[in-house]
Amino acid sequence: MMPETAGATMLLDDDVLQSTERDDLTVMVAGQGGDGSLTIIALLSKALLKRGYQIYRNSNIASRIKGGHAAAFMRASVVARGHLGDHIDILIAFDLEAVQQASPRLAPDAVVIYDSSREALPDGLVPASALLIPVPFSRLAVRDLRRDLFKNSLGFGLLGRIMGLEDDEVEAGLQRHFKKLTERQRQPNVRALREGQAFAGQAGLRDGRSVLRLPVLEEPEKRIFISGNHATAFGFMVAGGRFFAGYPITPATDVMDWLSRHFPSVGGVLLQAEDELAAINMAIGAALTGVRAMTASSGPGIALMGESIGHSGSAEIPLVVVDCQRAGPSTGMPTKPEQSDINMLTRGGNGDYPHIVLAPGNPQECFYYGALATNLAQLAQCPVLIALDAVCHDSFTVPAFELDRVEVEPGKRLSAEDVSKLEAYGRYEITEDGISPWAVPGTEGAMNLVTGNERDEWGRVSTQPRNRVAMVDKRSRKLESVRDRLPRAREWGDSNSAVGIVATGILESVITESLERLAGHGLHFHCHRPRTLWPLLGETVDFVNSHERVYVIEQSEGAQLAALLKSEGADAGKIRNVLKYDGLQFFTGELVAILLEKEGVS
Amino acid sequence: MTQTYQKAKPIWCAGCGHFGVQGAIQYAMAAADVSLHETLLLAGIGCSGTVQNNVGAYGYHAMHGRVLPTAIGASLANPDLTVIAAGGDGDGYAIGGGHLMHSLKRNPNLLYVVMNNGVYGLTKGQDSPTRAIPRAAPEEDPLDAMLLGLAIKSTTFLARGITTRSDQLNELMLKGLQHARSGRGMALVEVLSPCVTYNDTYPDWMHKVHDVDADPDYRNSDRGAAFMRVLELVQESVLPIGLIYHGSHPSLQDALLRDVPPAKALDPGRSEQTRQYYEGVLEAYGV
Repeated sequence: MMPETAGATMLLDDDVLQSTERDDLTVMVAGQGGDGSLTIIALLSKALLKRGYQIYRNSNIASRIKGGHAAAFMRASVVARGHLGDHIDILIAFDLEAVQQASPRLAPDAVVIYDSSREALPDGLVPASALLIPVPFSRLAVRDLRRDLFKNSLGFGLLGRIMGLEDDEVEAGLQRHFKKLTERQRQPNVRALREGQAFAGQAGLRDGRSVLRLPVLEEPEKRIFISGNHATAFGFMVAGGRFFAGYPITPATDVMDWLSRHFPSVGGVLLQAEDELAAINMAIGAALTGVRAMTASSGPGIALMGESIGHSGSAEIPLVVVDCQRAGPSTGMPTKPEQSDINMLTRGGNGDYPHIVLAPGNPQECFYYGALATNLAQLAQCPVLIALDAVCHDSFTVPAFELDRVEVEPGKRLSAEDVSKLEAYGRYEITEDGISPWAVPGTEGAMNLVTGNERDEWGRVSTQPRNRVAMVDKRSRKLESVRDRLPRAREWGDSNSAVGIVATGILESVITESLERLAGHGLHFHCHRPRTLWPLLGETVDFVNSHERVYVIEQSEGAQLAALLKSEGADAGKIRNVLKYDGLQFFTGELVAILLEKEGVS
Repeated sequence: MTQTYQKAKPIWCAGCGHFGVQGAIQYAMAAADVSLHETLLLAGIGCSGTVQNNVGAYGYHAMHGRVLPTAIGASLANPDLTVIAAGGDGDGYAIGGGHLMHSLKRNPNLLYVVMNNGVYGLTKGQDSPTRAIPRAAPEEDPLDAMLLGLAIKSTTFLARGITTRSDQLNELMLKGLQHARSGRGMALVEVLSPCVTYNDTYPDWMHKVHDVDADPDYRNSDRGAAFMRVLELVQESVLPIGLIYHGSHPSLQDALLRDVPPAKALDPGRSEQTRQYYEGVLEAYGV
């Protein structure tokens, strides 16, 4: 419904000023890059975090520095979610394109705040039942504050009134957000905020009257709000990670940026390399000396690193490699998520070599697996890869990490004194567990040779058949030695159901919400999320084989996860593929519809 | 004493220049009094990529073309190590060519020895980047790493030796090693090291070299003058040898490790200070 206008502004009807209580809200703010969409979402998420809500945030930006269309999204809910709601409940649109983009997903009762400075909104884009509030943000900001830039603070002031947030709470949030600005820079933003509030007041949003209401919740536990990339880098650092080399690539650059901020305080060394080949080999060079080393990249960069990953598996060099998966192939869609590097991560490279692939599904797991990968690399002396999906750039509220749970595990390292007690020391000694004790360069009396060629126990290149078999078998045994340290799958849902779901990573969240709705249709599923992709644990194969049929839900056209399951012994006849590769994440409504159709429920 | 690996016998053909290169490396290590256990000798892939097996230090066999980034990683992670990287002209100037200019630009504290024989020997005789390749006309010119090095303004030590002049080669290698060990940056020592089997350049090169050390007019600390002279020589198809250039520029270690020495490999640090820092990081994400 269009509000009635009173003079220069409009007056909202009593029937929309109902302060309707909400426990789950998806907000989109969009406009041209530089319009401040990300700032509004950041301000709003902080305000709602303070109110005790669970927040999930992602953004949809173009792959360019400035301009282009930018949209920021946030979901605030009482129940923790790791995906957006089906519908947009509140839209702040700085231009027409933003409304056009949001239009198909607007909730019937959406609140749409549209910057009417430039052009009028054509009919039909906003549902008739929605509340449309045209606000000339740009004109107001320029007229009263002399800069278009301040329209985001203005918008935030209006938004606060619509959502029933207290004015002082909103202003305190703004002050905190801009605390790094000088007082002179901050003041216009505060004025813009108040201007937004005044505008709201004229529309009837005053004296505690609002459109929506999000009651203050009791905070259940100590929580943090963090992205998967930050959490992974943090886990690496806490587990003693002290060397990183990388090459900029979306969406992995965050990992490098994060470490470059924190490494100087802990004696870590970071280098931006000339390409991915240099990056991973710098990390290998550092790892050779015993320092815990990591690199991070995305699909195209990981493809370049392929030979080196195999090399560190062969040469038995501990190394952590993070893959922030994005839509491929080749350059693909750099800013869009996918889970289509599974083939490359599990089966990539020439020859047979031991390696581990972990797949965390939320920032909490990113932290602990970042740490675990760092330790596992040392324990098994091999590359450990971390497969991130959209979890890499999306931020979630999660329970605060327990730093004490992370230990720095040295693995089989030898000091000069240890070596002096041995009769002989060879770098590649054949051992029962496949892991050879290791003295790093600089250790007196322990000189040794390291190579990616096949070699004897001394590290001397050898193609002797019996030695070859013994060495390959030794390396292969390493994975068995650490198998009990590999993360087991997470299972949830109805364990009595004959119908299973297998998915990895961030998809757990959308599947969980889908299950809640599918239960209303009488459908129940048993879910399994493998958290170690390589070696694939027997439990995942058993899960598939012990159900009548299993939906393998994944973000790849090639059904890479399903292929992995089949290749490791899962009954192909039981697997039903659910694939998405349009560059968007799954929506609950979409997944529910797919599963209803596939299960023959109309 | 604990038994460790036995030094290997070189795999090279009789008469190969690489024997002389290895000899020069060992001479330099002995003359600079570098102990074997403090030395990491990294080598690439190819005939030259076996030198690390023959010396008795810590040895690493890098991936083809990647010896420089690996050496940089090691030299940053443990600046107490003496890091020597070695490889062929194919390894360093072809597949690893991109890393060469960036390494020269960074000026890390390490010695890089390129055994230039103008040919891919291990794969039996293909042209390398330093070989003049006859085409219809004109021929494809060889790449000259000294000229490349001179063109990058942060290079600090560029030298070329030839295995037929072992005294000069030994001294160049020693100076290069001392340059890297004293924290002045990267020393590139290219050695003309003929392949007697696939590209026997002994007769040719012996008459084509010009020793700048013996040239009173050559100024090896003046980049511009050195560049002009080397360019002239290269244009005349003459190979300059000797200390081509030495200068000063902050090393990569100076730039990266000045304020924060790297954490020790065996003890990445769980000091109270580190712990408090982690807690501060966590706190910043608190809601």
